Amino acid sequence: MANHTARLYAVALALVVFFVGWAAIAARPWAPTAAADPRLQALNVRAALLKQRAAFISQVTALRAKQPAAAAASPAVRVVNLPPLTVTRTS
Amino acid sequence: MTRRTFRAMGTDIELLVDADAATDELDAAEAEFERLEAILSRFRPESELSRLNRDGAIEASADLARVVELAVAARERTAGRFDPTVHDALVAAGYDRSFEEVEDDDAPAPPAAPAGGGVLVDGHRIELAPGVRLDLGGIGKGYAAERAAELLALAGDCLVSAGGDVAVRGGSWPVGVETADGTLTLELTRGGLATSGRDRRRWRRGGREIHHLIDPRTGEPAETDLLRVTVVCSDAVEAEVVAKELFFAGSSAAAGSDVPGVLVTRDGRTLLTGALA
Repeated sequence: MANHTARLYAVALALVVFFVGWAAIAARPWAPTAAADPRLQALNVRAALLKQRAAFISQVTALRAKQPAAAAASPAVRVVNLPPLTVTRTS
Repeated sequence: MTRRTFRAMGTDIELLVDADAATDELDAAEAEFERLEAILSRFRPESELSRLNRDGAIEASADLARVVELAVAARERTAGRFDPTVHDALVAAGYDRSFEEVEDDDAPAPPAAPAGGGVLVDGHRIELAPGVRLDLGGIGKGYAAERAAELLALAGDCLVSAGGDVAVRGGSWPVGVETADGTLTLELTRGGLATSGRDRRRWRRGGREIHHLIDPRTGEPAETDLLRVTVVCSDAVEAEVVAKELFFAGSSAAAGSDVPGVLVTRDGRTLLTGALA
């Protein structure tokens, strides 16, 4: 009786070891990781650029909103006695 | 202070920003000029403007639609003294390629081509009346200077100069203006500045000197006693329009303007207008 039970456990253990081994081999852990799809990579790069651009535009929009309308409508200029940083030319 | 210069839109572009490190913003501002030139140039056959001039009607980008809208509004506001439909008159005068490539020609100039044809902007759709073509050279540079200044302002107070068109954001900027006998410095803290004149873009055609400032009413290079006009307005686009309007008006009418400006006459006088007088 004891021998019979031990044999059953041994068979069950052998089966478990067999299937675990099979699953491990089927997973091919030694194979190099497959290269990601280049189209997917390009899309990821594009998505990152668009996110960056969107953040940039948000900053510009916020800056534009901060400028008071009255200030934008009236230029401020006077003659000074300073060396110019730039000289305007006929366009 | 960081400065970058480069060529775009047929002129020298100068970017000044009150920051020690602003590479990303300078790159973005420079790229903005390149992007807008690819849309607004009449010398690039593949540009959106060239396509509009060829086809007569297109669904335009937001930028082209906006610039044409601004130009048409300026035409109405100035009663036709500023007009983007001078394209054929410029071509007839010999300015049919990038200015660096324009050469003197002994052949007589063809008859003048007055401006004033129909231009319709409806959202992004632009339609031109038959035979009408647009030149957005001056106003396009002013628009580009404003757009680039918006991007550069993310790094700090800045000035963008596109030839004669200057846009500023924050800070105070001493800008030199050529007068009859030297350079006058204007401190600009807000708004935009533009200079229009007959002293640089000029050439000879049929034995006479020609310049690029076409009077839309005659289709001929403007006959005026002014050599150069510089004005300061709410932005560079508006300044570009007003500078041309005053240039065509002549010194007597322009001297009474309430717009801050510097007029240089062909006989060597310098007149200040508006708040500068």
